[in-house]
Amino acid sequence: MSFTDADLIARVLSCEDHHAFGELVRRYQSPVRAFLTRMTRGDSHLANDLAQETFLKAWHKLGTYRGGARFSAWLFGIAYNELRMAGRRRKELALEDMVEPPPEPEGPAAASGSQLRLDLAEALKALSADERAAVILCGQNGLSHEEAAQVLDCPLGTVKTNILRGKEKLRRRLSSAYKNYESA
Amino acid sequence: MNPPETNDPLDALLRAQDTHVEDGGFTTRVLAALPRRRPWLRPTLLLGATVIVAMLAAWWLPWENLFPLGSPALLLLSPKALLPWLLLIAAVSSLVTGAMAVFRWED
Repeated sequence: MSFTDADLIARVLSCEDHHAFGELVRRYQSPVRAFLTRMTRGDSHLANDLAQETFLKAWHKLGTYRGGARFSAWLFGIAYNELRMAGRRRKELALEDMVEPPPEPEGPAAASGSQLRLDLAEALKALSADERAAVILCGQNGLSHEEAAQVLDCPLGTVKTNILRGKEKLRRRLSSAYKNYESA
Repeated sequence: MNPPETNDPLDALLRAQDTHVEDGGFTTRVLAALPRRRPWLRPTLLLGATVIVAMLAAWWLPWENLFPLGSPALLLLSPKALLPWLLLIAAVSSLVTGAMAVFRWED
């Protein structure tokens, strides 16, 4: 029998059930860790530490979760907050262009699907943190613009602008690398 | 509400990215880092509070009025005769409810 998120959350709140919380972690660890890995430009160790902090915070703050929002969006909000706090604590963290963006590809080539996906992952690293977060949350995790605005704690218009700018940069980068990226 | 589906190849490419991350012991590590459970705490508080309330009720209960002389007064349903019985029933039922809640908690 499969429990809904709401069942598991109720169980955690009523009797601090570790098994129920474990099931929630199992369900959401992948998107949260993938998001944090992308946001830290591939630093999976840091991403895992931040993800662990995210779930520990979620355990303590679960009573403040309002069922109106999606649980995943609520978790992304905590994760993004952890990332920002870590960025303040550790100046070396590459939140804002601290790591050199990957170099522009040299010339157009024919695109294959898998190579294109790899290059998209590289191209995402070249975006600013705000653009990357907005593109990943909406483009890869299916959040609405409104949900992303809540997660990123910024106005809706800013999210839309960041998505437009981010996608434009990605498009430019992929077009310069692959003459046929739109049909690959 | 999800973002509107578009025909933009970039949107399709973003969605097609394989972002799955294997658990690899992550969940176990998170659970190990959670604060220790204290399953005895809430039932103990609940039972303790119930016992205290029951003892206070027993202390304040006008025992001498439970079986008044000329007990037919009960039959006449006089408020003076019924009140102590109502208090006794309330105290006993709160004790039973508290005990049942504790047992259910432990289940």
